[in-house]
Amino acid sequence: MAAMFTVEHLKKSFETENGTIDVIDDLSLSLEEGRFLCIVGPSGCGKTTLLRILCGLDPPTSGTILINGSPPDPRKQKFGVIFQEESLLPWRNVFNNVKFGQEINKIGASDEIAKKYINLVGLEGFENYFPHQISGGMKKRVAIARALAVDPDIIMMDEPFADLDAQTRWILQKELLSIWSQLKKTAIFITHNVEEAVFLGQYVAVLSKRPAKLKTLINIDLPYPRSRLAAPFISYREKIIDLLREEIPSIS
Amino acid sequence: MSTVRSYLRSAKSIVIGLASIATFLILWEAVTRVVNSPFLPGPYSVFLAFIQISTVGDIDGYSLGWHSAVSLYRVLLGFLAGAVTGIPLGLFMGIKLTVKDVATPIIEPIRFIPPIAWIPLSIVLLSGLTRFTFLIWVGVFFPVLLNTIAGVRRTSITLVNVARTFGADNNAVLRHIIFPSALPEIMTGLRVGLGIGWMCIVAAEMIGGDPVGLGRLILKYANFLQIDVVIVGMVTIGLIGLAMNYAILLLEKRMFRWRVEVTT
Ligand SMILES: Nc1ncnc2c1ncn2[C@@H]1O[C@H](COP(=O)(O)OP(=O)(O)OP(=O)(O)O)[C@@H](O)[C@H]1O
Ligand SMILES: [Mg+2]
Repeated sequence: MAAMFTVEHLKKSFETENGTIDVIDDLSLSLEEGRFLCIVGPSGCGKTTLLRILCGLDPPTSGTILINGSPPDPRKQKFGVIFQEESLLPWRNVFNNVKFGQEINKIGASDEIAKKYINLVGLEGFENYFPHQISGGMKKRVAIARALAVDPDIIMMDEPFADLDAQTRWILQKELLSIWSQLKKTAIFITHNVEEAVFLGQYVAVLSKRPAKLKTLINIDLPYPRSRLAAPFISYREKIIDLLREEIPSIS
Repeated sequence: MSTVRSYLRSAKSIVIGLASIATFLILWEAVTRVVNSPFLPGPYSVFLAFIQISTVGDIDGYSLGWHSAVSLYRVLLGFLAGAVTGIPLGLFMGIKLTVKDVATPIIEPIRFIPPIAWIPLSIVLLSGLTRFTFLIWVGVFFPVLLNTIAGVRRTSITLVNVARTFGADNNAVLRHIIFPSALPEIMTGLRVGLGIGWMCIVAAEMIGGDPVGLGRLILKYANFLQIDVVIVGMVTIGLIGLAMNYAILLLEKRMFRWRVEVTT
């Protein structure tokens, strides 16, 4: 299958008062259509920066990124991006939040499609609730439904479950996998939780500390659904933790 | 349980409020009896003057209702002018910091010139309705502008990014993210602006052709040294201002339920 997504020799640096800081240095990566890639890396290594470049919010300093053969541009391509922070519009209820992406995308907002994705993430009956009236986990579900409702070419998530409690996170991981296996969307999922990465990803890209390079790309050759207690799962997990440990010598 | 308690509390505060007004009126009446001056009328003679002006009208035949309506019309014109100029400029200055940097040194000193200080200049340059509108506008414009800028500045970057990743252009970001998220502040600016604009009415009507408007009523009767009517005019201005403020507050509460509950 052709790569739907390639990054070649990506560099990103920022000019600050204290000089130039290199955040991403010579990162190359590619992913085929319909695959699920997790990206892990030490805190502050440049994961969010990478995601912002991938979805066209920031330009790279140098290097090329191609998504379906062209540089990322949210006005020409359809992206479903889920941010780590609260990203629902507080003045819109759940239903209108899910419709928001469609409205912007000029694909014509459809009530049926919004309903379909609200049901898919299990929020039937909460259409008229406002963001401040629902839990953190439910807000993430709304954000997922909103991203999916534009029928994106690719869905990108930046530590979407990081600030949820462990139980909610596990439930949402399972649901995300089931949604992904139904829709077969290309997915990029950033996390610093190694177990989450091994549970979700077909591939796990391990980044080095800043400036971020691709340290290793690991193919997680385990069928879904995965058991967190199975020996191969644990050995993948330990392997990645060891790789990360090399990047942060202070953790021993 | 808590609703019963809050009901009791609001009933209690209404009783206290009424008692406080009654005490004030009694004290006022007592002071006027002691001073016993024709220039300090008591609440009862003010009430009689109120009935007189409301029903019969003033010496030119204009009733209190007509004075109020004319003043309201003038203030609303100035208010509209303030909103139509303050909101777009505020959005623009909030979004483009260079525009803000250019405009601030001009706007900031002007902001501290009170509407009254504009009167001589406006007498020379403007006349009639344009003068009323301009003087009210001076009061309305700055609170609307400054609140709009503040509202734009507190727009969440994340929400802007969400819109951008869905392909929003600058227009869509303004319409779907910046404007709705600044709207509570804009409404606050409009409410404060309307209050200040209304308080400028006497200044705006200080010089004028036709003898109508609450400001003119007050000045006319001040010349006659008929203080009871002057007080009728003052109290009417106060009550109408209060009513307008309260009406917008209610509207704000309804519109921004999402925000009231978030912040409390
Ligand atoms: N606009 C910017 N200007 C200057 N420096 C920046 C900018 N954006 C990010 N950085 C720097 O780039 C580095 C990486 O930031 P980034 O947010 O991408 O890290 P991250 O891997 O997402 O971290 P975390 O795991 O904590 O989310 C940080 O050192 C940060 O200070
Ligand atoms: Mg990050």
